[in-house]
Amino acid sequence: MKISNGKDFWAGVMFTGFGLAFMLVAQNYNMGTAVRMGPAYFPTVLGGMLAVLGGFILFNGFVSRQLHPWRAFPFRAWYFLGGLVLGVVAYYTQVFFHGLGLAGEAAHTILSGVAILLLFAAFGDRSLWIVLFAVVIFGYLLKPLGLVIATGALVYVSAYGGHEFKVKEATILFVVLAIFSVASFVYGLGLPMNVWPSLWE
Amino acid sequence: MESIITNLGIGFGVALSIQNLLYCLLGVLLGTLIGVLPGIGPIATIAMLLPVTFTLNPTSALIMLAGIYYGAQYGGSTTAILVNIPGESSSVVTCLDGYQMARQGRAGPALGIAAIGSFFAGCVSTLVIALFAPPLAEVALKFGPAEYFSLMVLGLVAATVLAHGSLLKAIAMVIFGLLLGLVGTDVNSGVARFSFGVSELSDGIGFVSVAMGVFGFAEIIANLEQKEKREIFTKKVTNLLPTLQDFKDSWASILRGTALGAALGILPGGGALLASFAAYTLEKKVSKNSANFGKGAIQGVAAPESANNAGAQTSFIPLLTLGIPSNPVMALMIGAMMIQGIAPGPQVMTERPQLFWGMIASMWVGNLMLVVLNLPMIGMWIKLLTVPYRLLYPSILVFCCMACTASRTAPST
Repeated sequence: MKISNGKDFWAGVMFTGFGLAFMLVAQNYNMGTAVRMGPAYFPTVLGGMLAVLGGFILFNGFVSRQLHPWRAFPFRAWYFLGGLVLGVVAYYTQVFFHGLGLAGEAAHTILSGVAILLLFAAFGDRSLWIVLFAVVIFGYLLKPLGLVIATGALVYVSAYGGHEFKVKEATILFVVLAIFSVASFVYGLGLPMNVWPSLWE
Repeated sequence: MESIITNLGIGFGVALSIQNLLYCLLGVLLGTLIGVLPGIGPIATIAMLLPVTFTLNPTSALIMLAGIYYGAQYGGSTTAILVNIPGESSSVVTCLDGYQMARQGRAGPALGIAAIGSFFAGCVSTLVIALFAPPLAEVALKFGPAEYFSLMVLGLVAATVLAHGSLLKAIAMVIFGLLLGLVGTDVNSGVARFSFGVSELSDGIGFVSVAMGVFGFAEIIANLEQKEKREIFTKKVTNLLPTLQDFKDSWASILRGTALGAALGILPGGGALLASFAAYTLEKKVSKNSANFGKGAIQGVAAPESANNAGAQTSFIPLLTLGIPSNPVMALMIGAMMIQGIAPGPQVMTERPQLFWGMIASMWVGNLMLVVLNLPMIGMWIKLLTVPYRLLYPSILVFCCMACTASRTAPST
């Protein structure tokens, strides 16, 4: 058997994986009976359906007449491996770094940031992982460093993911967007969030 | 009949007061703005504004919030037609034919017919609410779990039938969506499912976050991969008025869309989104040349745009008569009423006629404002869209991230 439709094959793998994962995690909860369904009942049934459907789609990857290469999207195994290793290291050294105070926490944030970057960069085209990474950075930085710096990171990183990157343009965009978000969300709507790094206060 | 005229008289008296006119205008302006901007919708906006409404009187607050919802239906079509991004989730199907019309240089008529269809649907559904709210409430009262379940299945099946690609993958995605919906506290047992000890996940995955990911980020990434192939049709928008032929082609679609939208809006689980999908499917089925659909058929714009506006408005019927929300927006409206100390339910109609009829009358006033404001102001919205994509997408990202954050941190939620 040879994979003829790489897209279907990987979509099938993804659906089956998610279905099985949901079923597996649901086993931690009470199953109940069909009459009195427990919290595990519905996820198990749905996860099973998803896994079966995923199996069909996966099978379609072998018999489909539509030809897509087996390597449907770029995958960089070394990046993935590196990100995985760093991520595991970051997870287990969390307590150690937090013991070092502020500098340690910053170092830990950078370490886990690099791990996430490597994991993202392992998949797909440049624009895919850069945009996703930019959003994750924003989420990471918003609380400790405040809205302005987080917006800056989001704008610069995501603009870098495009086809043309002009520093001047990105800077103007950053200034405008930062002023806009601070004015409308923090002052206008009164959302409770830091504008500047909370360390300074 | 006479009582309805008297009641509508009371309603217009309330809706035409200076203060309520201003809040209505504010609501529809805001609605159009967030409708045009992809990645932020009425749910996030209303959620953010809930704390603000506490300072207003109940009628003004509800008039403004309602304006945001149906105003967004007007604005959403502009982005769908010109940029092929649904400005609003209920404009998803408008992209299919609206964008193709724009590619053929017919962006003007597409925008025009969308606005005209929406206005017609708005007028009709305002009347529908006024005439049929009491008897329709009786029908809806008889719904049991079996009916709710059937409706949900109908919605999901319609979504998969509409999918362009493989049916198997579409069904798989529906199930995947249902599974994502299971994350969070189980309503029956109180067990936090799939939360992995993260307290934020016990509230479930936010509707806003998923919508951002699926409609916002995915679109941006896909656009970036295609190397500036994104076409915006801005210079070609000259003649907004559809031709006589366009009217001949689409008047029946507008009627069907309005009827279907008004009917589906009342049903639980319905509203603008389901209405637009169903209307598009219906048009495709009844059309003699269904092959044209997806290639710029004006019926494919007229029907869903009429339907989503009709659905947006009639979805207020279950709220106003039964006190049950038919969609997330209506759930927020219930929140707004509770903040004001009003228990939503059948008694609102009799105990607070000013509020009930004032809101209905304001919908018609708001629709009028939307047409008057939207067609001349279309240039302004288009300007918003002429910005090159490399400037636009970081802005959309910032907006998406802020809206996600806001939907989580707003004091009300």
